[in-house]
Amino acid sequence: MKRIRAGQETIDNRQRGRRPTSAALGKAILLVLLVVPLHASLLTNAFAKVYIDISSPSAKKLPIAIYDLQGPSGKEIAEIIRDDLTFTGLFMCIDKASYIEPAAGKFSPQNWRPLGIEAVIKGTAQEKNNGLAVEVVLYDVLEGREILSRQYQSTRELVRQLAHTISNDIYQAFTNMPGIFRTRIAFVAEDDGEKGIYIMDWDGHRTRKLGLKGTLVLTPRWAADGSKMIYSSERSRQWGVYLLDFGKMSEKKIFASKGTNMAGDFFPRGDAITFSSTQDGTPDIYVMSLKDRSTRKLTRTQGIEVSPSVSPDGTRIAFVSDRGGSPQIYIMRSDGNDIRRVTFEGSYNTSPSWSPSGDRIVFSCRKGKNQICIIKPDGNDLVQLTDTGNNEDPSFSPDGRFITFSSDRERTRGVYIMRANGEAQKRISPQGLRSYGPRWSPN
Amino acid sequence: MKSGKHVIALTLALLFAFGLAACQKKAAVQPETTQPTQPQTMEKKDKDMEKVTEKKIDSKIESVDVKDKGAQYVESKESMFADILFDYDKYAVADSYKSVLQSVSAWMAKNLSARLSIEGHCDERGTNEYNLALGDRRAKSVKDYLVSLGVSSERIDIISYGEERPVCTEQTEECWAKNRRAHFVILTKVGK
Repeated sequence: MKRIRAGQETIDNRQRGRRPTSAALGKAILLVLLVVPLHASLLTNAFAKVYIDISSPSAKKLPIAIYDLQGPSGKEIAEIIRDDLTFTGLFMCIDKASYIEPAAGKFSPQNWRPLGIEAVIKGTAQEKNNGLAVEVVLYDVLEGREILSRQYQSTRELVRQLAHTISNDIYQAFTNMPGIFRTRIAFVAEDDGEKGIYIMDWDGHRTRKLGLKGTLVLTPRWAADGSKMIYSSERSRQWGVYLLDFGKMSEKKIFASKGTNMAGDFFPRGDAITFSSTQDGTPDIYVMSLKDRSTRKLTRTQGIEVSPSVSPDGTRIAFVSDRGGSPQIYIMRSDGNDIRRVTFEGSYNTSPSWSPSGDRIVFSCRKGKNQICIIKPDGNDLVQLTDTGNNEDPSFSPDGRFITFSSDRERTRGVYIMRANGEAQKRISPQGLRSYGPRWSPN
Repeated sequence: MKSGKHVIALTLALLFAFGLAACQKKAAVQPETTQPTQPQTMEKKDKDMEKVTEKKIDSKIESVDVKDKGAQYVESKESMFADILFDYDKYAVADSYKSVLQSVSAWMAKNLSARLSIEGHCDERGTNEYNLALGDRRAKSVKDYLVSLGVSSERIDIISYGEERPVCTEQTEECWAKNRRAHFVILTKVGK
């Protein structure tokens, strides 16, 4: 199999038909220099090789054969794994019809080489203690050997999570990067006139509503460790910022005042948040310590300042301001200094959110309708990723390879996901459920 | 052969756990811990065993806040004043609404125990968060105008609903225009 390198996220400049910039390349090379020697060269064994270079936008998809696991739920599990791997754009799942080897038979590389298939997954599933016990083996065709063999157990209800866990292991075996197949997406949905926060798996399954008070609950934002969430809710004609602790399953109001108060973002260490408030008259951006609830005002214009998004390293805040006459994306340091404008194209750029590595900001840009755009924090390399319907509220997956957003392209607004280069756009929220404001969970 | 492979796999996993300590996988899936040096027998299988679990998200969420003080004011059912409408993406009050605002001001002067809540609303074309800010600015523009007419700012509250509470849900200019509004709600003291 080809020798491939590890990198981080891929931003394919598809719309402009250009290769990634030299800076991005430099970053990828830097990562290769850092990551690969550190982990791989210590073990000069072929086992440490990376099969898929996820930093290369033009990487060939890895042809893989995934058998239905033999036994109960085996077909369902295999189907979930195929869907997971296919969505990454890094794998090509080869149709079962071409498998000549019996599922229970011994793996033989000769059966696969002529077909160009490079990896094969087989496994079994059985009922055990009212749950499932699954065994999966992953084979490398070119080297003709087993590269992963693992057993999994779960209760019956967690069959999807079990399958996603297998996908994570397979993904990691090929890319040396963690998979996101067990992450979830929080979003706002409208049911019977009430707007509340829902959570679903990243693939749109297992949608459930959080039992929060209030008929208007918006802007869910995860803490970096996934243990908490802040959001905005209107209760008794007042907007408050609330903090939900998933461990205790309890919520606290952490900020309220007259006017409109909107949850912004957590700082990476989880000890402070940003929010916007009109308590002094116009919407401005604030930082609040979660230890002593002290607040600090960062912006002071007569216009609108909203949507403060904290950079992954916590040093900068991207936000929206209309100080230049129209809503545009700006960046400032987390102490409020050094304000710089990022977007100059178009007259309506809102909802900024950082990529996990901090090298890009995704936002909603208006090109007739609202679209998803991506830009470097220095204002370079603007790329438009969507072109159908109105597309809003973008945010990245924790590995930076995917983006979730809302779109009305199928009339009813729904939550969509796509690869970070704009490929493979699809709705994942339930049909007919008016949904928007999605945020990918960090884990 | 196989055990060697697994030792390497585990070493690699450990290295990764070290190198990427801040990484994700920490949450629900916990591989069972066994010594990597165990002899290769039946235990071999347990070594690579993962118990897939998930922390359940309770549907019941406790709100530890003290209950909001009971509203001392009740909202009037129907607004006696016309909505103030705004241009797309704008929050300036048009001159044509001066007469409406003068009648609001006159009414407030006569009904000294009443309070006024001004709701700012937007059409659906902006993004939700920005629209909440825009709605707030619209409500504030109206409030500022009323204050300039002599209404005490203490008697006026503003709140934005952005695009979350439309009066009209079709995707037409006519409908959008109706939604870009400041809406008056009279609050009267309970028991009066």
